[in-house]
Amino acid sequence: MIDDVIRLENIVKVYPPSVVAVDNVSVSFRKGEIHAVVGENGAGKSTLMKVLYGLVPRDGGEIYYQDRPVHFRQAGEAIAAGIGMVHQEILLIPEYTVWQNIVLGQEPTRFLGQVDTARARRLVKQKIDEFQFNLDPDALVGEISVAARQKVEILKLLYRNVSVLILDEPTAVLTPQEIPQLFGELGRLRDDGHTILFISHRLEEVLTLSDRVTVMRRGKKIDTVDAKTTSKEELARMMVGRDVVLTSQRREHAPGEVIFETEHLSYKDGEGRQKLNDINLTVRAGEIVGVAGVEGNGQFELVNAVVGLIQPSGGTIRVQGRDITRAPILERRRLISFVPQDRGRMGASLNASILENAIMTHHSLDQNFSRWHGLLLDYAHARRFTDGLEKQFSVAMASKFNPFRSLSGGNQQKVILGRELLLDSVFVLLDQPTRGLDVGSIEYVHQQVLRMRDENRAVLLVSADLEELFLLADRIVVMHRGELVADSPVGQTSLEEVGYRMLEGRGEPR
Amino acid sequence: MRNKWVSGLLGVLAALLIGAFIMLLQGFNPLDVYAALFQFSLGGLSPLATTAKNAVPLVLTGLSASIAFASGPVNLGQPGQFLMGALFATVGGLYIHLPPVLEVAVLVLLAMLGGALWAGLAALLRMLFNMSEFIVTLMLNMIADFFTAWAIAGPFMDKSAYSPMTPQIDPAGWLPSIGNFNTTILFMIAAVGVCWFVFNRWKAGYEWRLSGQNSLFARLGGCNIDRNFVSVMLFTGALAGLAGGLLVMAGPHRFLKGLGANYAWDGVMIAIVANNGLIATLLYGFFFSAIQTGALGMELITAVPSEISQVLQAVLVLVIVASREALNVILDRREARRRAKERAA
Amino acid sequence: MRLLVGLINGMIAGATPILLAALGGAFTYYAGIFNIAMEGMMLAGAFGAVVGSYFLHSWVLGIVLSIAFALVLALIFILFSVVLHTDEFVTGIALNLFAVGATTYLMRQTFNVKGVFANEGIIPIPRLDIPLIEQIPFLGEVLSGQNLMVYIAVIAVIAVNFLIFRTRFGMRLRAAGYNAACLDSSGVSTARMRTAALLLCAVLCGLAGAFLSLGYVTLFAENMSAGRGWISLAAIILVSGNPTGIAVISLLFGFSDGLGLLLQDYRVPSQFTSMVPYVATLIALYFYSVKERKRKA
Repeated sequence: MIDDVIRLENIVKVYPPSVVAVDNVSVSFRKGEIHAVVGENGAGKSTLMKVLYGLVPRDGGEIYYQDRPVHFRQAGEAIAAGIGMVHQEILLIPEYTVWQNIVLGQEPTRFLGQVDTARARRLVKQKIDEFQFNLDPDALVGEISVAARQKVEILKLLYRNVSVLILDEPTAVLTPQEIPQLFGELGRLRDDGHTILFISHRLEEVLTLSDRVTVMRRGKKIDTVDAKTTSKEELARMMVGRDVVLTSQRREHAPGEVIFETEHLSYKDGEGRQKLNDINLTVRAGEIVGVAGVEGNGQFELVNAVVGLIQPSGGTIRVQGRDITRAPILERRRLISFVPQDRGRMGASLNASILENAIMTHHSLDQNFSRWHGLLLDYAHARRFTDGLEKQFSVAMASKFNPFRSLSGGNQQKVILGRELLLDSVFVLLDQPTRGLDVGSIEYVHQQVLRMRDENRAVLLVSADLEELFLLADRIVVMHRGELVADSPVGQTSLEEVGYRMLEGRGEPR
Repeated sequence: MRNKWVSGLLGVLAALLIGAFIMLLQGFNPLDVYAALFQFSLGGLSPLATTAKNAVPLVLTGLSASIAFASGPVNLGQPGQFLMGALFATVGGLYIHLPPVLEVAVLVLLAMLGGALWAGLAALLRMLFNMSEFIVTLMLNMIADFFTAWAIAGPFMDKSAYSPMTPQIDPAGWLPSIGNFNTTILFMIAAVGVCWFVFNRWKAGYEWRLSGQNSLFARLGGCNIDRNFVSVMLFTGALAGLAGGLLVMAGPHRFLKGLGANYAWDGVMIAIVANNGLIATLLYGFFFSAIQTGALGMELITAVPSEISQVLQAVLVLVIVASREALNVILDRREARRRAKERAA
Repeated sequence: MRLLVGLINGMIAGATPILLAALGGAFTYYAGIFNIAMEGMMLAGAFGAVVGSYFLHSWVLGIVLSIAFALVLALIFILFSVVLHTDEFVTGIALNLFAVGATTYLMRQTFNVKGVFANEGIIPIPRLDIPLIEQIPFLGEVLSGQNLMVYIAVIAVIAVNFLIFRTRFGMRLRAAGYNAACLDSSGVSTARMRTAALLLCAVLCGLAGAFLSLGYVTLFAENMSAGRGWISLAAIILVSGNPTGIAVISLLFGFSDGLGLLLQDYRVPSQFTSMVPYVATLIALYFYSVKERKRKA
């Protein structure tokens, strides 16, 4: 007997003012199944789940839960009804212990409204044992691993006796070894009668774990298929809308002299943790070096040390033979083009106009922007410059005087890339340049990265996407706990080897 | 752009309605009050001249706060910088004797110096010890208040006066009037012009604005955040100091007790309603001055105390800011609903 | 000895309003509200206290009105910042101005005076003599005979500590500040917690105001909070909201206040002695900032 526990009918969600995130989607979920919702970034999977959960108000459509129409206005109502969601960005309080996080909102109390600590801990311990989660109820959440935090989130929902669990990209934050453990726990929950909705864009794990798969693309539902009868290729085709050929367009050519170089680069953070440890890295002219690694293994610190946001505790950084380890940022920017991972925070000012964003750095390095001995900014030149950038990088914009936030993500990245490429630099530092972009924009960025190489610049590309690294890089280095643990030309290594180094560091292969 | 005007006007209207409601509660006729307010602020050349003159310190401290907030530094020290500027100009006027035009120029520069030094002290503490300028400028306000109170009751006190005040400054430093209008207004207009030019044409102004919107981005783009911080503090301090100096030079020609009390927070308030826009600061500064000036006259012919103007101002700030944000949200939501309907159809 | 007793009593009197207001601010601090309206709430409370005490001939009703007046400000704060999502800083600034304007206006309106309203008819909050303890030499002079509000402040430290760290309410309150989205997803409305925090803050700020106008002195003066709300804010920031820390820091500020009074006896101009608490705030901020920077570097 097929028993639909949740039915979504004709759901529409528009983010103000005009982003259509979910476009007339109908889908149903059965009791006791693991149901994956897949799609690319921005396909609307998360939004659909948030609409179901009541975190995001819907603009149209109906939701039926156990055959009754429901309209959750806030998360609390959904939980009370028996639906819980684990978010992509983990929603816990690092300052609280595991048990405090779990009972928050449903705390057992004693007289005078005191939290009954003993009882709360006992209840949490019971749940931990019942579902065989390996957790210490008294550990501070800020001090446990990401995988453990995810377990806390799940337990928090189980403590509230939910029967439907929504997980938003739960594996994105896990290392490959931690994933089987999670899958084991999810499998047990399903066998227990729980329904699990699982958002992902990693097709392999979707096929391993789930019973049925719903594919979304650009806010629309494409299809719901049985996991046993589909294939990775079929799912990929439905996700992207065409056959996916990820082939390299690299042309072979010999790299030139060393442009970028670090020697014994080290960095300790404020709490004395060694974030970078003796990094020796070189990038030659006309060479793309890819930096692989599980997030949080020192990539961000490496990038920040190179651009000058943090001061290394030891070692040197040289560009074109010049020691820039302690140089002011502006001096570095004469040599370095930089595309940061977070556009809105580091790459642009969202409220400033497109023009004002386009001329940043150029305004002080390029003499053509100066009048009156550098006192005034030549806005006429700035307009010409922005027009040039718009044309050269085919940015779709209504007016260069509109705020930067009015651009789509892809066009924002085009402006940033254009600005940085138009700098007269020898070294390009790219930190996750395709994060959060749609397929078309990703292809565009890839072309531009290869163009930099053809212009004989030295390129350092940090990416969490191994496929991207193998597509673009000439050489791949791997970071693990602040150290470089592997460095080899792309032809002499493999996805598997790099993946292994990301997890195990220097250790011997099994 | 159009929204700004709409929300501003709606906010002003709503605030006036709330003000009217408060007056009704107290048994006054709001129409009479507003008519009197208008009559004594804008109803004729002479009231207009007074309103314009009273607008000078409001607009200048408003510019100071607007430029500071738009550029990042939370300079809440306008009251203190204002007092120090006034004190510097006064002391200069007591001891420096030059021909009229030169005297005025020197006193204006001294006033700006006084404000800039007081703000510079906060900037220095920030640069050396990373002390938040937000609290430092607040504390310096109180300290400046007591310091100037001491100065006019001690070393610079007019011995013939009964309450603490300085003697009058050299008449060469008095700002003359042309007809009804005092020349202090010219300084205000020039200051608005200079501020606009610095903010929108200077390279430093570009960096200030971008740092104010996203300081990390500006830093990565090669802007010198520290240098910009100090220069913004000095610049905005000088503006507030100028306000104090001009007040002395145009008005009582001496430093009286409680000189700055009425302008204490008005600059910050005006910057907030103006959303840090320079032209909007000028307009709102003028508007607030009209309320304050009109209230003084209104008191003479109605039973309503002039302090109602302070209540009105606070209501204006809250309502204008709230309606500005609410209007944007409403407009966005309406657009979203329209799209959703298209999709569902 | 007389000198020491005078200094300590000056310290206690100076510390009490700052302590009460800062304890109120601790609630909003933990709830994640950037609340700078303590100054205004205190001023409104001071005015309410005088109105109640003068017209209703009772200091108890004075205290009741002081709380009521402060609550009015809190309700406006809630309306704008919690309901309409207006910027908290802007709301706070506007409310402080509103408090100055409204109290000045109402003082003029109700008492027909400008500047200061002092009258025999204002009944102050009594001092409390504790039997037995008052007999103890020296200690008795300090521990006994203080204004009732001083004892309330001491009790408040304990109560606030208990509420914030031991109870369910406190756990949720702190959660609202640490991670509002987490609290909301746990089924507790952050907006409701913040509303509660603001109301509690107003109650304590009202008491602080009542102490100012019915304890510290017996009169109402224009803008008589004189930056004490800002000092409480500094105190909260310096100890990251911890109630016990707030008590210690308030005593330090109170000491500087008492020191100022003492210095007046040594012919230091009163304007300079009045500066002492503000300079003390700057010095405290210096130590805090240097420590913070070391921690971050």
